[in-house]
Amino acid sequence: MTKAIFFFIACLLLLLPFVFTLEGNSFSAQLIITTPFLLFLGIPHGAIDNLLYLRNNNINNIQFIGAYLVFIGLNVALWFTIPCMAYVLFLLLSAYHFGQSQFSHYLQNQAISFQALYFLWGVSILSALIYLNIDDVYIIMDQHEEFAAFKSLHQKNVLRFLFFGSTASSLLLMIYHGFKNHIKWESILMETVVITLILVCFYLMPILIGFSLYFVILHSYKVLKEEYNFLLSEKEINSVKNFFLLITPFTLFSIFGITFLFALIHFNILQISYGYCLLIAISSITLPHVFVMNKFYRLFGRNQNT
Amino acid sequence: MNLLDILIIPKDDAVAFTFFTGYMAMLAASIFFFFERGRVADKWKLSLLVSALITFIAAVHYYYMRDYYLATGENPTALRYIDWTLTVPLMCVEFYLLTKAAGAKLSLMWKLIGASVVMLVAGYIGEAFNPKGGDTAHSVMWGVISTIGYIYILYTAWFGEVARLAESSNNAVVKRGVRTLAWFVLVGWAIYPIGYMCMPGGWLNMSLGWGSENVDLFYNIADAINKIGFGLVVYSIATSSSKEDHAA
Repeated sequence: MTKAIFFFIACLLLLLPFVFTLEGNSFSAQLIITTPFLLFLGIPHGAIDNLLYLRNNNINNIQFIGAYLVFIGLNVALWFTIPCMAYVLFLLLSAYHFGQSQFSHYLQNQAISFQALYFLWGVSILSALIYLNIDDVYIIMDQHEEFAAFKSLHQKNVLRFLFFGSTASSLLLMIYHGFKNHIKWESILMETVVITLILVCFYLMPILIGFSLYFVILHSYKVLKEEYNFLLSEKEINSVKNFFLLITPFTLFSIFGITFLFALIHFNILQISYGYCLLIAISSITLPHVFVMNKFYRLFGRNQNT
Repeated sequence: MNLLDILIIPKDDAVAFTFFTGYMAMLAASIFFFFERGRVADKWKLSLLVSALITFIAAVHYYYMRDYYLATGENPTALRYIDWTLTVPLMCVEFYLLTKAAGAKLSLMWKLIGASVVMLVAGYIGEAFNPKGGDTAHSVMWGVISTIGYIYILYTAWFGEVARLAESSNNAVVKRGVRTLAWFVLVGWAIYPIGYMCMPGGWLNMSLGWGSENVDLFYNIADAINKIGFGLVVYSIATSSSKEDHAA
């Protein structure tokens, strides 16, 4: 069990009795509850992408930030031209990224069977999040006209097929890796417990609270810890304080950026809903982050193996 | 004569069924651990005795609980918690005994017992003093306090002193055994809150309509898994380690 899994179980158990009080919360109330966690734990895990990417690469910081901004710009352009494609791309990349980070402490392997496991695991939890909260998703889509375009992508039977298919496939792939001695059977049992608890969490909790619990603890906290250990082993930092100082600038930059966008909406300069704006902002940060992390995990895996 | 009284178990009463099978299983496990105690190395005899005591204390309580349940149809809450007050701290003693050779101090045992007392006392208040018809706020508050005790034991078993001592023990059998017991705490002990949430006012009772009879059903299943299973793990460690000692 990793500490991230332990914290997730502990938080889930402590929050479960309060499901009653959380159930009736509107989407805005959920946003208010989860925003501090998403901002101060979620965003920082991608705040040192530059440092991670620049290792073993022949480009400088300015070139990296330039490329990062180009990616973001292209993504925003895609959102305004073909929103459905941008949305699907965001989900697919996120699925792979979530799966990759979930299995990172076992082994980083570029073999297709591992990549398929990462992807299917991510599809399983993302489809579960939508499928198990489909009524909430429909309400959100009905409230904001921009989301209406995605309604056809959220048909119940398609989601059910995706959810059951990807969950069964990822479990079968884990068993396959168990037989191949790539992952210990105990770890497979732990991952089965974890995915079960994630599904319970998504089913019982309101959509945003359930997702934040997963995202902040099982994903962001875990990645932050891996980044910290990596930089420590590379002698880039020597304390938590150093690490904190490293992640602070881009975390603040991102928070100010999102606040700035919200201010533009507030003063009617930008005419889209807050939720849609947030979705574009998150997907724009996610897109380059997924590629950086894919490279980071290769380095991280090499470090672990040596 | 009491012994000749005939107890009738309704065919569709799963709770009564599990009370009877639970009683017999606990008794059988106690006899097994008592007798097998003679076959293991001296250093493991105390651990097996504790395992036998856990199942024996449970068997005696189950004997009374099955009668209470059949006579009244109610949950034998007081008897249940008297049983747990004795057996759960003994399970914590097992963790201490297993890691003692690796340097576990008595303070570890007392910390684990303290956490188990928090878990049980809060659970008892939550259940026994639940107002008639159920009070969600009451069950939630005491449920959360009880969970804190559980989380402490879970942490100690997976990351804390117990895990660290097992890791440093240089004994693969102990390492494997402690890890298996940690799994019992994670999965087996997690069945109890499901039962707790079935009582009136509990979340499963209110939203899924799971009646209070399920409280005992889940508790009986969990008891059988955890007490007998816990003992079998200790037995397995003791026999494997004794064989290794004998071969060396």
